Amino acid sequence: MINDETNNGDSFVSARMNLTFNYAAGEAGSRFLIALRDEKKIYGTRCPSCLRLLVPARSFCPRCFIDTTEWIEVGPAGTLVAFAFDQSLQCHACSGKGESDPGVRPCLGLIRFDGADTSLVHHIGEFDPDTLRVGMLVAPVFIEARSGSILDIAYFKPLEADNARSI
Amino acid sequence: MLGAGRAGSGSHGGKTMRRVAIIGTGQTKHTKSHDDVNQAELVRQAATRALADAGITYREVDAIVLSNMELFEGRALPEMWVGEGASGYLKPVMKIATGGTSGTSACIAGFHQCASGLFDTVLVVGWEKHSEGATQTGMMLTDPLWDRNIASGAVGNFALSISQYMAERGVTPEQAAKVAVKARRNAAKNPYAHLQMPDITIDRVLSSRMLADPVHLLDMCPQSDGACALVYAAEDRAESLCARPAWVRTTVTRHDQPYIGDLDRRLLTMRTLRDAARKAYHQVGITDPLNQIDVAEIYEPVSYAELAWYEALGLCAEGEAGRLIDNGSTEMDGVLPVNPSGGVLSANPVGASGVIRVAEAAMQIMVRAGAHQVANVRTALATGYGVYAWSDVIILSVDK
Amino acid sequence: MTELLRISHTMNMDWRYGTSWYFAKFIRALQDKRLILGLRCPICRRVYIPPRPVCGNCYAEMREWVEVKDIGTVLAATVVHVPIIDPLTGQPRPAPYGMALIQLDGADTTLNFYLAENDPTKLRIGMRVRAVWREQRTGTLSDIVYFKEVSS
Repeated sequence: MINDETNNGDSFVSARMNLTFNYAAGEAGSRFLIALRDEKKIYGTRCPSCLRLLVPARSFCPRCFIDTTEWIEVGPAGTLVAFAFDQSLQCHACSGKGESDPGVRPCLGLIRFDGADTSLVHHIGEFDPDTLRVGMLVAPVFIEARSGSILDIAYFKPLEADNARSI
Repeated sequence: MLGAGRAGSGSHGGKTMRRVAIIGTGQTKHTKSHDDVNQAELVRQAATRALADAGITYREVDAIVLSNMELFEGRALPEMWVGEGASGYLKPVMKIATGGTSGTSACIAGFHQCASGLFDTVLVVGWEKHSEGATQTGMMLTDPLWDRNIASGAVGNFALSISQYMAERGVTPEQAAKVAVKARRNAAKNPYAHLQMPDITIDRVLSSRMLADPVHLLDMCPQSDGACALVYAAEDRAESLCARPAWVRTTVTRHDQPYIGDLDRRLLTMRTLRDAARKAYHQVGITDPLNQIDVAEIYEPVSYAELAWYEALGLCAEGEAGRLIDNGSTEMDGVLPVNPSGGVLSANPVGASGVIRVAEAAMQIMVRAGAHQVANVRTALATGYGVYAWSDVIILSVDK
Repeated sequence: MTELLRISHTMNMDWRYGTSWYFAKFIRALQDKRLILGLRCPICRRVYIPPRPVCGNCYAEMREWVEVKDIGTVLAATVVHVPIIDPLTGQPRPAPYGMALIQLDGADTTLNFYLAENDPTKLRIGMRVRAVWREQRTGTLSDIVYFKEVSS
């Protein structure tokens, strides 16, 4: 039904929007982020029903649908349970570095802290791409000027070579 | 008192299906800015209150319908991200976004799911957190070919239609202001409402800042953060769980052409609302809505619209809406109280606003409306309005 | 709990919408010849401005082009006082500004457009207005700046 009778260009309309959003973190989210900012600590909350420890901390367990009020510090180090290289990532670890620098490949990872039942998503930085593997212990690298953001942690870096743990 | 409509275990226009009732409702306080909760937590507040009001747990919910204009908060896939706040884990969840009618669309979809027999207990939750987003820019994401050339915004578009309505029907700014006054005074008795102004006057409305001629600031609805939820159950189960369930007698939806210039005097004709109401009334045997309906929760985004909706809903003849507001027929002590909750004019979290209309209508039937309860409610009307001219009409009754 | 945080994100989004044959023809006529074209429904015979491929009332495809005048009648009018963000610039549009639904001579629908006049006491339903065209046209509906009153 639709055909371009004129068969020229001019068949597009472009539009641009600049939109700024300000999301409420909520009480639990704020408490978690403030702990990053002020104490450089990572917290989870435990569900009183299923007893899972949820990281990041949150106000309710989505499976049991009840309030989670027990706050438990985790980490700082955790186990890398998955990772993927992704060139489209914007990451502190990679900004300003050349492509041939080791550990400069943008990398996303899932980090499971001891005792936690969920994993945290974050960047992985300062690693050798040839030796990075699942099971390694990784630790957070905090930035100096923290503001209460998940990016107060710049990335997680492997603690040492050949430190893999069986998971 | 409603007529029997057509025969059948659930008439709904002659098509047999299970009869479904609302057995519980829940709301958050609607406010300018809910800093204390994120979106999932806001939804959870409303959902848990509705479940408690219904006397059931989240485990008994079989399906969930969400209502949210995700564009306004820039949060894609709220059915995924926010659904856990409605106990969505391992349940079927769908989200509906149809502008202002999102909430009523979701209520109708939830009703369909339960009436079909496929799901026994359905939870509907609508919410919005305007404080998080760029609602105005969201409103600008209209048709890129034509609408986006013009910065009219919602209020500009209303004002255009209102200018035609005033010219032809002769309503005055004072009569519109009376609607705004009624809404905010009613809201003063609703603990959930955003704008509560027990001392508001016509003068105060007319001297408030002009937004777009002739719409003043206080003629217009606010933008609110808030959530509202309700629970459906069918037949015997509804009766065993709830002493006085609000039975859904009929639901009708009508859409229209999208471009404002096509709508041929939108407020004057309001053909979607007129057509939907006519069909709904016919299905339940209403011939004199002003006297046969006991309470109405009408989706009125601007004061003038409520006057136009009186005519479209057949509460009065064309040209008589001004007289209806003047003689107090739609006040709390009038023959047909309109918007005892304060309406959209007093609380407008867009994704929730339609759910609030249906929930408030149900609360009136269930005698759970507290300080804004109308006496002897057997039949309640709820409407939704969206985009330029989409309409939903829902009729609830104490009778199956 | 005392401190509650807000997490801020700014997104810059670019879109490129495919238009189609009716848009291309309408815009070409507007830009090249200062000509306004509408489409007529074969069933109800209404002429639609701006053009679109299907008549919503009849659900019929429209292919018959009709020339429509750039002068018409105001059927609805308002003056907007709040600085609403202009989708074309992304910036608040300087207020107050007049807007109207204008039925161009030869069309059956109305066009939503700006007016030159922003004094509400000078606006009347029924007034006659004519398009004011941009000198340099770029191929959008905004090649018309606004509509200005003409004496009948």
